[in-house]
Amino acid sequence: MSATLRPYLNAVRHTLSAAICLQNFNSQVVERHNKPEVEVSENNLGLDFKYDGKVEGESSREARSSKELLMTPVVVSRNEKERVLVEPSINSLRISIAIKQADEIEKILCHKFMRFMMMRAENFIILRRKPIEGYDISFLITNLHTEQMFKHKLVDFVIHFMEEIDKEISEMKLAVNARARECALEYLKRF
Amino acid sequence: MAKNTFSSEFRNIDVDQYNEDNYKDEDAADAQTHIGIEESTIISLMNQGNHAEALKMLLQTAPMTSKGRNDQAKEAHLNLVLKVLLAVNKSQMDQIITVLDSTMLDVLMKYIYRGFERPSENSSAILLQWHEKVYNVAGVGCIVRVLTDRKRV
Amino acid sequence: MFYSRSFNMTEVHLFGTHPITCHAWNRDRTKVALSLNNNEVNIYVRNGSQWNPEPESVLQGHDFRVTGIDWAPNTNRIVTCGADRNAYVWTQGDNCKWSPTLVLLRINRAATCVKWSPLENKFAVGSGARLISICYFEQENNWWVSKHIKKPIRSTITTVDWHPNNILLAAGSTDFKVRIFSAWIKDIEPKPTATPWGVKMPLGQLMTEFSNSTGEGGWVHSVSFSMDGNRVCWVGHDSSVSVADATKEMAKTQLKTKSLPFTCVTWVSPTSLVAAGHGCCPVLFSVDETGKLVHVTKLDIAQKKEAGSLSAMKKFQSLDRTARTDQSDQTLATVHQNTITGINVYTADRSGKATAISTCGADSRLVIWNFDSLEQALGELKI
Repeated sequence: MSATLRPYLNAVRHTLSAAICLQNFNSQVVERHNKPEVEVSENNLGLDFKYDGKVEGESSREARSSKELLMTPVVVSRNEKERVLVEPSINSLRISIAIKQADEIEKILCHKFMRFMMMRAENFIILRRKPIEGYDISFLITNLHTEQMFKHKLVDFVIHFMEEIDKEISEMKLAVNARARECALEYLKRF
Repeated sequence: MAKNTFSSEFRNIDVDQYNEDNYKDEDAADAQTHIGIEESTIISLMNQGNHAEALKMLLQTAPMTSKGRNDQAKEAHLNLVLKVLLAVNKSQMDQIITVLDSTMLDVLMKYIYRGFERPSENSSAILLQWHEKVYNVAGVGCIVRVLTDRKRV
Repeated sequence: MFYSRSFNMTEVHLFGTHPITCHAWNRDRTKVALSLNNNEVNIYVRNGSQWNPEPESVLQGHDFRVTGIDWAPNTNRIVTCGADRNAYVWTQGDNCKWSPTLVLLRINRAATCVKWSPLENKFAVGSGARLISICYFEQENNWWVSKHIKKPIRSTITTVDWHPNNILLAAGSTDFKVRIFSAWIKDIEPKPTATPWGVKMPLGQLMTEFSNSTGEGGWVHSVSFSMDGNRVCWVGHDSSVSVADATKEMAKTQLKTKSLPFTCVTWVSPTSLVAAGHGCCPVLFSVDETGKLVHVTKLDIAQKKEAGSLSAMKKFQSLDRTARTDQSDQTLATVHQNTITGINVYTADRSGKATAISTCGADSRLVIWNFDSLEQALGELKI
């Protein structure tokens, strides 16, 4: 299974390197606005969003972006459970990661861990406070970030993040199991 | 009061979509006249072991139109392409890629990404192999074109 | 944080820590006007082989960031445009102070690019309002007024360039098209004569329109007319470089490259052009006799990093700061460390062939590339 890890991370790295070519772009829909186009697009107006890009229901709010400024969203998947959705646009890029959660306890750990980080999203700078539906965590990288930081280091960071997440969750799971075993041992010693 | 204040449905209309100045994806009429390849042709080529030829044929006739149009033809074509891609083993991939020119490599990369959207048993692992090999030949420009092209497969 | 470094092939000047949005030279290249990603334009003066770290003048007038600067070589006027929907023409008074003149652009979205026409009697401003403003001076009220070119533009104009005849204008846009318009202002100039681009040239006439890639997309980032005006080249976000030739019945040739997209391009000779962008390295292309575009060479020879032994002190310092002992992958192998945002011809010989070009980047660097020395170093470089 780990034979696919390297190719998976390489594929994500190349996709991100291609998508992170951002530039400053003032809104052409609203005067004096300068917003990440991927966030103000139609896809984002609180509607049901399936990850294959189909939008359901009628728009009750106007699209504040133009479709020619958005690029094709792509998915890179390692298997049915792990995938990355990359949504690029002219001045911003959204990366959503679905993490492997094999059993109930990993699901809970993952959820708590992601929530912990997303509450501190400001310190992470590029983290998004809410993940996109269907995914566990999302990053939003804008032209401001690529102006202040090296593009290749931003990509390195995301890849590193993906590598470390799995390790962290496994470690936490081991710790939880170990603690549970200790508690059970101590308690049952009385009987 | 006027009668039409009963319904406020008109408030939900997005007027900007009717603005003539907006960018609209153009689609030439030939979207409807797309000639699909017979599945049997592809199967027979695959049975002969001629995956390269099958792939070439499929890539040259790919139905490429903007998002949301011609979905049925795209589905059918995508299934055929994935069939061929997943039937090839690692050693043959390099050889097949050398037969394809740069336009076909761009289309192939689009199909690889579409294949990623619907992972099945071992499909992603094989597609990751394809991705790496096409990247080594066509560079990051190939991936950039998958992202920028308005015509999707 | 200001320094200048000179190897023979490149002169590197660092202007602080903010990205350089755009730059423009005066006629004798002793001064440069550039904007550091804010609402001001700084004018720096050359001091031998270096630049004075403090700007000689700061042009303050815009409320939002400055998106375009152009310096007219003969009349010595600077035009700037910004995201605040304004443009100003700056003239230098007797006391060497620059003062702005009002420009009535009449646009309701940000301005994105600006260029003086060859005769410097008008300039073109592209904007997010999906139109181009052609501005000329009105003596009575001492301001610049504009005429609009609107149809059939469908999205933000990102780049404009003038034809040598002072009438035709090429414009690239995020609707994936490059269009050649007539920008003839009958109040200030005589009727133009026919060119290979067409005969009738009323204001706003669309002479011809090119798709970046037949229906396939890729925003046009930069467009440039050749010196004789018969060819136009452009770069698109699909990592492609294209050339269209009016003398060959508008034949278009395109090269789809393997690298990251280019953001700027300029002709350096009748048959060669240099493009630069997200790959952080300028690349030379040439058009051969059959009209085909060919990649010639990158202009940046990767400087070999001295892999000296890391002292123990340095190891602990970097461990402390970034939790790593090895910092060698921080810097890129290219001279520019971040996207290149603009390119200009720096010096040219009598025939118009460029002998040096300048690039500015998001890494705050302004680099001058000297073709003579590069030719010796790269061998195959022939402009």
